[in-house]
Amino acid sequence: MAVISGCFSYSAFHFPLPSCSTPSSRLSVSRIRLSASMNSSDELRAKLMEFPHVSAPHRDLMVELLSSVETRLGSSLQPCILPPDVQRFENPAGTASASLQLRPGLPSSQIDLILGGWIHCKLPSGGALNITSLSGYLKASTDAPHFLLDLIQGSPTSLVLILDLSPRKDLILHPNHLKTYYEDTQLDRHRQRLHTLPEVRPYFSPSLGVRALLSPTAIIVTIDVGTSETTNIEEIIRDHVGPVAKELLQFWIESCACPERHVEESEMAYLAERDRIIKNTAIEVDLGSSFPRLFGQDVADRVLTFLKEYYNK
Amino acid sequence: MAMISGGFSYSALRLRLPSCSIPSSRLPVSRTRSSGSSASMDSGDELRQKYMEFPYVSGPHRDLMVELLSSVETRLGSSLQPCTLPPHVRHFGNPAGTAYACIQLRHGLPSSQIDFILGGWIHSKLPSGGALNITSLSGYLNSSTDAPNFRLELIQSIPTSLILVLDLTPRKDLILHPHHLKTYYEDTLLDRYRQRLHMLPEVSPYISPSLYVRAAVSPTAILVSIDVGAGETTNIEEIIRDHVGPVAKELLQFWIESCACTERRVGEPETAYLAERDRIIKNKTIELDLGSSFPRLFGQDVADRVLTVLKEHYNK
Repeated sequence: MAVISGCFSYSAFHFPLPSCSTPSSRLSVSRIRLSASMNSSDELRAKLMEFPHVSAPHRDLMVELLSSVETRLGSSLQPCILPPDVQRFENPAGTASASLQLRPGLPSSQIDLILGGWIHCKLPSGGALNITSLSGYLKASTDAPHFLLDLIQGSPTSLVLILDLSPRKDLILHPNHLKTYYEDTQLDRHRQRLHTLPEVRPYFSPSLGVRALLSPTAIIVTIDVGTSETTNIEEIIRDHVGPVAKELLQFWIESCACPERHVEESEMAYLAERDRIIKNTAIEVDLGSSFPRLFGQDVADRVLTFLKEYYNK
Repeated sequence: MAMISGGFSYSALRLRLPSCSIPSSRLPVSRTRSSGSSASMDSGDELRQKYMEFPYVSGPHRDLMVELLSSVETRLGSSLQPCTLPPHVRHFGNPAGTAYACIQLRHGLPSSQIDFILGGWIHSKLPSGGALNITSLSGYLNSSTDAPNFRLELIQSIPTSLILVLDLTPRKDLILHPHHLKTYYEDTLLDRYRQRLHMLPEVSPYISPSLYVRAAVSPTAILVSIDVGAGETTNIEEIIRDHVGPVAKELLQFWIESCACTERRVGEPETAYLAERDRIIKNKTIELDLGSSFPRLFGQDVADRVLTVLKEHYNK
């Protein structure tokens, strides 16, 4: 889920591909073609997959990430459970639109849900705000981290990137969790890699709740090319953000979502409660404040109510 | 305690002020003079007095530490026991005589919410010719309260650059306890201090090499590198005096009044939770922070002697 207050984008997707798990191979995906059995919900989903408002490298990245999820995890996921008017919505003026997809995991799966989407909003200044996002939440039957990705672009020369494997436990009380998922894996090398770029600096979310839920290796940065003539945002997405995002997603799929963990009964209640708070924080912070502004109160209420009810059932 | 691997500083102090609490008023503090000492002062006291003067750091840096320590003494002194560290832990150095440190640790009285206050400094000559100076002040609270701990470190190894760690470190998992986040960090608008310092062009975030440190600090932690470079417009001393100082003093004031002194009635099972979490934090500090730097700075023998004693005190 997007975890920047001010705007969010959900890239919802649903590939009309056969649902089968393929062992770790990265698919090269350009555009997804639609099957002959396409109906209106497929159309909706296909349209979402097109990421109509962002640059080519940005779109390519999102498509590739979503394809990875579909290919590797699709057989563990149910179809999208959002009603059509929550999958796709606009503000009354037609200047803001969004697409969302939420696919729950099958009962047998460790995956709680995959949420993706995008938001596009024309700005009064003449530009546009675009947010694309992908999150993967796991169930309390595993203590492996969740996956979060948000790209928030409010100008052609500046992008906020949040990319994290967010912790399921208090890292102080559970140093083993820190060691297993963050130290031994040398996860910090991805953050360090991006921070070597002169265009990159840390971003401080206005929400303390968001800062608190991110891991110590979280990539939470502003990428600003300014008036640079040597590079642009698209190149940075293609050459740096993309590779890091794909590696982290790959790691999450292989080492977090798929491997079975045997969590004690006593621990499951702890994880479940913590996860509930994380998901609600993401909604409150991300959607709660900006959705009414972007989409008007009615649309915002409809979407937020549905998501909150789903998260808290 | 210093939480940056690579250097620590303990400002050991012992003010010869009467131990009494004065309600929230900030005392103007300049230099603590060693004259006028009581008849019972012995050579150990003289030594300690000398070290309260923070002999190796600049005027504004020294003044700040003295003022902070005075505040602690004045406002909390009546809740603290005297320092019971043995002399060889209060002041020690490496065999070569190129590194020195001073530590003072005062436990809270049994009736107090304070676990202990630790202050000190470290000075180490560097092969390059310069010196590493670390000054530090931490306040740990016990499990009868869930209020945050206090942590301050200034780490300076060259004249034009300083690392500052200043935080009210959380006692609880902020995700599972959003009320703790709200009470101590959101409602208090604590982030404004971090924001204030980040407005300075010389200030940039410091990312600790230790993931544990990153995880332990609060979302409003000030963890920065202050670099004046070749700038002619300002220097580190001015920034300490004009920016670091005011922020550090306000945060300590807040900690004293709203965390250390404000009574919280924490019952079980929360007490057990806090006690366990605190135990881990304190021992991690010794293991990760001091455990890695002390042997390097002071040699294995001295480090072992000091850390053994500190570990006992931390786990009292």
